[in-house]
Amino acid sequence: MTTEHAHVEEHAHPGARQYVIIGAILAIITLIEFGVFYLSIDPALMTWIILILSSSKFLLVVGYFMHLKFDDVRFSGLFFAPFIIMVSIGVVLMALFFNLTR
Amino acid sequence: MQYVTGIDDHRTSTGLDNRKLLMWAFLGSDVMFFGTLIGTHLIYRNRNLSGPQEEILSIPITTISTFVLLMSSLAMVLALAAIQRGNMGSFRFWTAIVAIFGSIFIGFQMFEFTEFAHLGLTPRTNLFGSTFLVMTGFHGTHVAVGILWLWSILFASYKGKIHQGNSLQVEIAGLYWHFVDIVWIVIFGVVYLIGAYGAEGRALEDIPHAARAVGIG
Repeated sequence: MTTEHAHVEEHAHPGARQYVIIGAILAIITLIEFGVFYLSIDPALMTWIILILSSSKFLLVVGYFMHLKFDDVRFSGLFFAPFIIMVSIGVVLMALFFNLTR
Repeated sequence: MQYVTGIDDHRTSTGLDNRKLLMWAFLGSDVMFFGTLIGTHLIYRNRNLSGPQEEILSIPITTISTFVLLMSSLAMVLALAAIQRGNMGSFRFWTAIVAIFGSIFIGFQMFEFTEFAHLGLTPRTNLFGSTFLVMTGFHGTHVAVGILWLWSILFASYKGKIHQGNSLQVEIAGLYWHFVDIVWIVIFGVVYLIGAYGAEGRALEDIPHAARAVGIG
């Protein structure tokens, strides 16, 4: 058995139907983001709503389309370690400059 | 005997395929790269003394281009699922769709950049122009590289070099493509939607704030 055959057998990735459902969810979330943009609400609330919606899309793509939910946890470590560092630095800088919701 | 058979060429001490491991390591480094570009853009928000800024962003057009890129990601996983099943016809169809949707996204970006230039925004106009165009320009470059990669995979499949047995090559190209997609998810949310929200009303009142920020107000 080659490594590549083993690879295919190791990870039970979702099927085409599940991918299409996730694609539809991503499209709906994007539509909601578009709608929220035209609401007259507090900018801080708007910021949080968009951050939550964008994070949902991000996690769906990373988890299902990139298969991190099903693959070896070390791949997740390689990706999320620098991601957490990057987000942490970003949050600290935003806090310093008071510039995210302004 | 591994040199003779070639079967164990990719067996590693980690038990993971080195090619996939390398791609994830690259994506981790690219996260830092785009994090720097996005962070720089956010820090320099509202520090422009002249020229257009976030009020010129077109949310309806960018929503459409975002939708196109998201659907290209869906097509990418469908292409991968097809080649893993050994359905080469379906794989070629979906791979071509991904490349075409990516090209449409690039078209939207070229239209946007041209519009901005007509409105007086170039990388030299102000901080917004510098940081925004560099950030989205690098993203567009990533998309263009992905398109070339996908076409090369598609042509290689016609020559029999890409098939069910080495579908990992498609999976690795897919990882890159999805990464380009998630970077845009962040840019669309943080830079476009949050950035442009209420930007028109903010533009005039920001000038004193920007002057103070650069130490001349």
